Amino acid sequence: MANARNPWTAVALVGPALLVILTCLVLPLFTLFRYSLNRFTPSELMTEALTAENYIKFFTEPYFLGVLGTTLFLATASTVLGIVLGFPFAYWLARTHTRWKSLIIIAVLFPLLVGNVVRAAGWTIFLARDGLLNALLVGLGLTTEPIQFMYTYGAVFIGLLSVVLPFVILTLLGVLEGIDFTLYDAARNLGAPPRTAFRRVILPLAIPGISAAAVVIFTIGMNSYATAIILGGAEFQMMAPAVYQQFALLSNWPFGAALAFILVSVTAIASIAASIVLARQNKTLTQLAER
Amino acid sequence: MTREALIDSGRIARFLLAAVIVFVFITLLTPVVLVVWASFFDSSFLSFPPPGYTLKWFAQAAEHGAFLRGFETSAKVAFGATCLGVFLGTAASLAIVRSGLPGMKLIQGMLLSPMIVPNIVIGIALYVFFIRIADGIGIDLTNGLWGLILAHTLLTIPWTVRLVCANLVGLNRSIEEAAANLGASPLRVFTRVTLPMMRSGVIAAALFSFIISFENLEVSLLLVQPGSTTFPIAVLQYLEFKMDPAVAAATTVQVLIVASALLISDRYVKLSRVV
Repeated sequence: MANARNPWTAVALVGPALLVILTCLVLPLFTLFRYSLNRFTPSELMTEALTAENYIKFFTEPYFLGVLGTTLFLATASTVLGIVLGFPFAYWLARTHTRWKSLIIIAVLFPLLVGNVVRAAGWTIFLARDGLLNALLVGLGLTTEPIQFMYTYGAVFIGLLSVVLPFVILTLLGVLEGIDFTLYDAARNLGAPPRTAFRRVILPLAIPGISAAAVVIFTIGMNSYATAIILGGAEFQMMAPAVYQQFALLSNWPFGAALAFILVSVTAIASIAASIVLARQNKTLTQLAER
Repeated sequence: MTREALIDSGRIARFLLAAVIVFVFITLLTPVVLVVWASFFDSSFLSFPPPGYTLKWFAQAAEHGAFLRGFETSAKVAFGATCLGVFLGTAASLAIVRSGLPGMKLIQGMLLSPMIVPNIVIGIALYVFFIRIADGIGIDLTNGLWGLILAHTLLTIPWTVRLVCANLVGLNRSIEEAAANLGASPLRVFTRVTLPMMRSGVIAAALFSFIISFENLEVSLLLVQPGSTTFPIAVLQYLEFKMDPAVAAATTVQVLIVASALLISDRYVKLSRVV
């Protein structure tokens, strides 16, 4: 056990964990994919088949395309705003020398670990008809009747934003702390104004980190379940709740499985596309910097 | 640009930065602060400002069967999944970082892969798979503790691999070499030098694994049966019905558990490096 360099020891060490992943994740995913090609009949539920009809159904029914559209829209919006807000915050945190730094990092990490259900509960207290926001608005005389904030796009959006922000900040903090800021000082000494030095030196170095963070939080937004259910309500349809619904309420496994794989694929494709765009952006920025 | 314009734009930039920082703090902390605050309200529904403060909701939440049973189930599942995941993940991390065998990067990627699969899809795939097993060999994992523990091990293995690998890479090999040169057997080097040096990484992995498993909702959704749900599912079901100080009190308990785990792990690991 002690000598991990012995190949057999290494296999014995890594084997059990790998076996768990293969049997409890990879194999079930294959099973699920196989089921997505089966046929659903109301009487027998699932019958063996090899058909693409579940996928075709998804892409021909406006309702499900709408669900995907809502999900894509909210995931994209929270990714963009997450980066726009998270980057300056992480930049400030990376450059600051306050002794509160580790406390601030804990304050960022803490909401993440508290979990999505608790955070959604907190936003409910803020946004509900008898919640804090309405009490403030009525108290200030800005409105006489409480406003319906819950079960709207806005409620889900603010919930998602608070879910993704810790991931953006902590990912970018790691990236920004790895950047050699003497390069920035050098650019400044050579006469570049702060803005130019930032845009041509720091930003190109940070772009790979930004794109990594964007992919992570976009995926989180696409897959959000608790936030959508609690802040969006039963009527609000996003992909993850829709997948669950097909299995738990409608017992339509083939279609639910197809939904699951559409969700996974669309997320992956969008992430890859975004990375390519950002990489190209990075290339232009690098060329700019070299000029 | 004139000098004045430059100074002006610098001032605007600083103001914008300050505004962003304040807004981010508010967005991050509002939900947690409100949950804790509301759990002390002396009224049976939300009302701002609260008529008074009380501790009775904590007693009320403790008497609410679903929360209590959920708490018990979640604690058991998180404990089991943490033990299993940290054991398997730590062993695997040793091989990944130390063996120098080809293909270890790929294996590490495989072990981290549950992090990128949507949790709802993990839960559903396992549910479907467990039912298939039940049909095939008659072992039903869909509504017992073991099925949940196995499912949550998919969450704890990647966190352990990530944290312990990061810790192992940073360890100084020369101390182990010194021990070996001084005549310690490989087993002795491992138990007396390597393991103690890995302590901080393993403790952090255990604490994070426990938290991640305890708060996870999506993986468990289909693997529980009515009456024996996990804590987050019990809270979700209550919230779909109503929001009041009692459910705030229940979630405050979870907030406190996470806070204490976080403060303990802060002593062992650089928290900015974990995500």
